[in-house]
Amino acid sequence: MATEPPPLPPLTPVASAAAGPAPAVKSLACPNCGGTIELRAAGYTVTLICQYCSSVLDVANPDVQIITRYNEESQRLAIPLGTRGTLKGVEWEAIGFLRRSENGSYPWDEYLLFNPYHGYRWLVTDGRGWTFGTMLTAEPEPGFDGLRVGGEAYKSFFAHGRAQVDYVLGEFYWRVAVGEEVETADYVRPGWMLSFEGNAQERNWTLGELLDGNEAAFGFAMAPQRWRPGGRPPLAHQISPYAASAGTAFKLALAAVAALFVILLLFGGSRASKSYDFNVRSDAGAASATIGPITLDRAFQAVTISAQAPGLENAWVDLDYALVNRKTQESFEAYGIAERYSGRDSDGDWTEGDRSATTKLAMVPAGDYDLMVDASGQRWAYSGSNGSTVTITVASGGRFWSNFFLALILLIVPPIFMLWRHARFEAARMGESDQGSALASLISQDDDE
Amino acid sequence: MSRGSFLYGVWSLAIVSGFLAASIFGYSPFADGGRSAVVAGVYGPSHK
Repeated sequence: MATEPPPLPPLTPVASAAAGPAPAVKSLACPNCGGTIELRAAGYTVTLICQYCSSVLDVANPDVQIITRYNEESQRLAIPLGTRGTLKGVEWEAIGFLRRSENGSYPWDEYLLFNPYHGYRWLVTDGRGWTFGTMLTAEPEPGFDGLRVGGEAYKSFFAHGRAQVDYVLGEFYWRVAVGEEVETADYVRPGWMLSFEGNAQERNWTLGELLDGNEAAFGFAMAPQRWRPGGRPPLAHQISPYAASAGTAFKLALAAVAALFVILLLFGGSRASKSYDFNVRSDAGAASATIGPITLDRAFQAVTISAQAPGLENAWVDLDYALVNRKTQESFEAYGIAERYSGRDSDGDWTEGDRSATTKLAMVPAGDYDLMVDASGQRWAYSGSNGSTVTITVASGGRFWSNFFLALILLIVPPIFMLWRHARFEAARMGESDQGSALASLISQDDDE
Repeated sequence: MSRGSFLYGVWSLAIVSGFLAASIFGYSPFADGGRSAVVAGVYGPSHK
């Protein structure tokens, strides 16, 4: 899943080394349990949770007062706080953890990462993948059907939501508390999510990049985590794993079809034909003819036998062929019919049938052959013609269009299947959006009615 | 190139190769040779 990072030169992290001196690590004693706690971003952090008793401490206050005490049991985190890992070429330390949800539903985890020279980042997951979030210092620009950041367009996915904090542990750059609520909105483009969080006091925008399944895992020594088909719906900003394959497959299919046409042109022609004319009458029994010698010089080849009966009208001619090897007497038999019918009914004049008939023999070995033809004419109605001249033409080689169409079907089916999987993925992804929810409720209303 | 694309590439190559071989040797599973004559009763137009 290769994604191009958006150009973000004007955007800088919220806190960076340029904004002030690099923060120092400071040790504090928890006033509740007495445990020694490390304050890793002294000067920036205002709230710190004791790792021993889970008490929330206000470190902005020199006296370090206890604000709230949690009784919830500490969870075992995928990234234990204090763990250092490398993402995007920068070493980050996980200093805070939030579990958030939409009123208790759809929970997700957010890890606050810190680097003294690069500031804060977020690592977010709901079990389907990791998103690496950078806070923006400027509001996105409005764009067609969404917003624009760094020249890239983001479409609205979740127009409005409400996120609450369910659990908190570690250090943060604002006074976070369980139950804290913010309004949310999300905008996406493949591989990227632009998230809004705001309340009456502040508005924050975060640009998240969906990481490759292994990237976060290798960075923080975790088990790889990625979305798998057949389970939960894809993430809002997930790139379809089938899109690239389907695109490549269609290009390959196009090249393969072009190759089929070239082969058809190079090897599909017929050569060295011989013709024979004879009269076939419906009242004179079967007419026979022998055409030859027909020399076939390739090890194996197709043989095309064509019959033309231009005088047929409301009649048909049965044609039995036997291509006999002069040396071995091996016989290749085939059958053809030339027919033509016409009439008039309430809808007007109609015609049916073909006065010509083409018969193809496959894989005939090399040798000298005679083509023996038995032709018998029949009248369909009294108005039918009593006879016709039949011209038989036999040639080595021939185009099997049936082979071509069979190959075409075999080539086209896999890309169509891939395209169908991609469409199903996109439908599942968009089904999670506000548009998808609106569509689903509309369908549900129709069903109720 | 993904695994699916690679497999499809191999599949396409096999199809084109098969088509080339069939064209060179004049083979088709749908050839007319050996087909029996039309049975009695199906002659004539199928118009209405």
